[in-house]
This record gives sequence, structure tokens and C-alpha cells, in this order.
Amino acid sequence: MNWLRLIAIASLLLLLVPIIVLLYYGLGPFRDAAGYSAEVIRSIELTLFSSALAVFADFILFTPLAYYLARGNDRISESLVDIPVSVPHPIIGVALLILDSPVTPTGKFLLGLQINFYNTMLGLVTALVIMSAPIYVKSMQPYFQSKDPSPEEFAMGMGASRLRTLYSVVLPNSRDGLTSASLISMSRALSEFGSISIIAFYVLQFPFYGVSPASVTIYEFFSGNMSGGLNAAVTASAAMILVAIPITVAGHMFRRRTGR
Amino acid sequence: MIEAKVRLQAGEFRLSAELQGGGMICLAGKNGTGKTTLLRAVAGFLPIAEGFVRIGGTDITKRPVEEREVVLVTPTTCLPHLGVDSHLVWGAKLKGLRPEKGHVLRLKSELGIDYQGTVGNLSRGMRQRVALATALLSVPRAVLVDEAFLGLNDREAFILRYGELAKQAKVEVIFSSQDEADGTLADYLYVLHDGLATPKQRGANP
Repeated sequence: MNWLRLIAIASLLLLLVPIIVLLYYGLGPFRDAAGYSAEVIRSIELTLFSSALAVFADFILFTPLAYYLARGNDRISESLVDIPVSVPHPIIGVALLILDSPVTPTGKFLLGLQINFYNTMLGLVTALVIMSAPIYVKSMQPYFQSKDPSPEEFAMGMGASRLRTLYSVVLPNSRDGLTSASLISMSRALSEFGSISIIAFYVLQFPFYGVSPASVTIYEFFSGNMSGGLNAAVTASAAMILVAIPITVAGHMFRRRTGR
Repeated sequence: MIEAKVRLQAGEFRLSAELQGGGMICLAGKNGTGKTTLLRAVAGFLPIAEGFVRIGGTDITKRPVEEREVVLVTPTTCLPHLGVDSHLVWGAKLKGLRPEKGHVLRLKSELGIDYQGTVGNLSRGMRQRVALATALLSVPRAVLVDEAFLGLNDREAFILRYGELAKQAKVEVIFSSQDEADGTLADYLYVLHDGLATPKQRGANP
């Protein structure tokens, strides 16, 4: 009897109980047409679209940070990266709200530039970037660290700067790591609720006029603000899980391929 | 001419070495004697506690790696996503040099690079040849070869040819080896033992 395996599987099942329960009731006894209505489908589309945009922003903005942390020795920056995910997530929503409020100087400045976070796609994506970027960085950093540095040293010896080395040498050979980190941070963005329920309860602009992200829609069903109640909340949750699982699994499969 | 006086401490290891020589310098020593540490210090990847590194009379001790013009080649060095021809001129192009096609072809022929394809898919020996040729074509002040001559089927002839080509390009070369006898392939021989470098006679040149 392999007791370690038995304990590991038991604890894994414990973790998966909420997911299994939701899938069972959402697709079975509690199934409600409101839970997979056009409105829910649109909210899942919005969640997928905004999460994909957030991950693209993570790639552009935070790959250099992940590489800097991997090849540098900056313990302070390394700790600071974790802060956004270690505070209660609604705080990030409140912070974005204050940052872009017409009563604060920063808000006046941003609104003057037509940058508005409140109930916009920009606000939604910004919140998702802040919540998913630490996961992206913490996924890319060990990947970069696991790579043999000799090609980078070779390029630098020939005159390439660290940034040039990143874009010309490291990234073209990091497709698996980038795919894995992107999928893992996308699954984090898909699951976000706390910050976006404050800053982007709806997205009021084209093409989503008034659609809420999926996690907010589920909460709206549950709280009774949308007709359908608990049954619709459970069904919509099951639908969202079915969308999110392949992304999470794919991310971890790529991670295994990268040997981490 | 390379002149280096390097004192540094890396963990428990203490290195104290003085090198002086031009053309090909062989650093011989067993595992753990400090060959790689010394080469990495000269290349700028390890900070020197005390001393200097001068190449061709220019003091590069405090220059960052990318401004030293010192290329470190190890057995795993290559830019795996590039094709052979793109790889060969990568460093030269970075410096704004445009190596003549005839020169590149001659170098390929001299160093036995008679294959194409993505460098990452080649055998280790083939990759080493490409990396060493790339370093030379970028015309740095020096190429530091950290055991990257190992595993080449025509090793001794290759080292001699590489040394000649480097001299023609006015590029200094330091290569490390576990075999003191490799000193006969170089102009200067230094033997490292417990982090101390000792110059050795190796024939006519010293």
C-alpha cells in the first residue's frame, strides 16, 4: 500500500470537492436555462476576452520584470511583486477607483486624458492585469532561471544589452514557458471577482454594452439581483468551470513540458 | 596582448591569478582549480575584488559585459533558434560589421562548417564550431573558450586553425583545458592549481 499516494489523492479530492459538487448540481439536478442564457454566454465571452487582453498586457509589460528578477539579485522587487495578490482583492478595485476618481489629482489628470477605469473595458483589463501579473511573473521567473545562461552570456559578450538579449536570444527560445505562464495567468484572470466587482461591475462600451464579467454575473444570480436565483448561479458556475478547466490544464501541461 | 591580475573569492573558493600573453593562451588545470572562474572574471561575469584586466592596452576591468568585447564560449553556447548562416553573422551584425561573403565561406571551410539547418538541432560538436566561428566573425578583443574545444573530432588541428584565424583577425584567445599537454597548441601556458595560476614553459614562444 502506497500511503503517500493515498494521502495525496485524498487531499486532492478534498480540494476538488467544490468543483465536483458544482459540476454535478449545475449540469444535473439544479440545471436552469437562465444559467446558460445568452446573457451568461456574453458574460463568459467578456471574461475570456478581457482575460486574454490582460495576459497579452502581462506578456508585454511584465516579461522584462520576470527576466530581471531571474537574472538579477533584487530581493526587494521580488517581494514587492507579490503584494497585489496578497491583499484582499477588493482593495485593488478601490485603489483603481480612487486613482481614477474625479475628486483626486491623479483622477483629474487621467480623466483629462480620457482614461476612465470605472465600468469600462480598460478598468476591467487593468484590474485583471494587476491580479494576474504576479502569477505571470512568478511563473516566468523560475522558467528563465532554469535556462542555461550561456547563450545569453555569449550574446552579451558580442555586445548585446540585457534587453536586446531578452528579445533576441531568450524569448525566441522560451515559447513553452511563455505559453505555460500565459495560460496559468489567464486562468487566474478568469477567476477574478473581488477587484472587478468594484471597478468594472459592467462594461458599458462597445461591443459589450452593459455585460458583466462571468464571476459578477454568478454573484448577481446568487444575490437575487438577476432572475434565476441559486439554480442559475450553480448552472452558470458549472459553465464557467467547463470553460476554465481546459485553460488551466493546458497551462500545467506546458509547464510539465518545460521541465519545471 | 592580454594582461590580467585577478583576485576574487567565490564562495569558499579563492582565486589569485596573473596572466600576460598574446595570441593563444592555454589555461590548464584539473576540475575545480579555477579555470572557469578566471575566464568568467575576465569576461566580466564575476566581479574582481582586486586587480585589473587589460586587452590590447585598454583597461576593461570596470566595463560592463556588453562593452568589454570579450566573448565567452562554453560547450553549450549557441543561439539555438537561428540557422547556421544567420548565427555566424549575428554578432558581427550587432556591431554593425558586414562580413564579406567570401570571408564567411572561407571561415566555414577552415573550421569544418559544411552543414546547414537550425543550430539547436545540430550535434554538440557542430554547434560548438558554429559558436566559435560566430565569436571570431564578431571580431571582439578576445574569445574565451571554456572547454568548448572538447569533443571536436579534429580537436588539435581545429585549435591550431582557430588560433591562426584569430591571429589574422587580431583577436586574442584564452582556452581552458584539463590537459597540460594542450599547452603545445598555444603560445602561452598557465597551469592552475587551487586557484593559483603558474606560467609554464611550453616551447619556443614564452
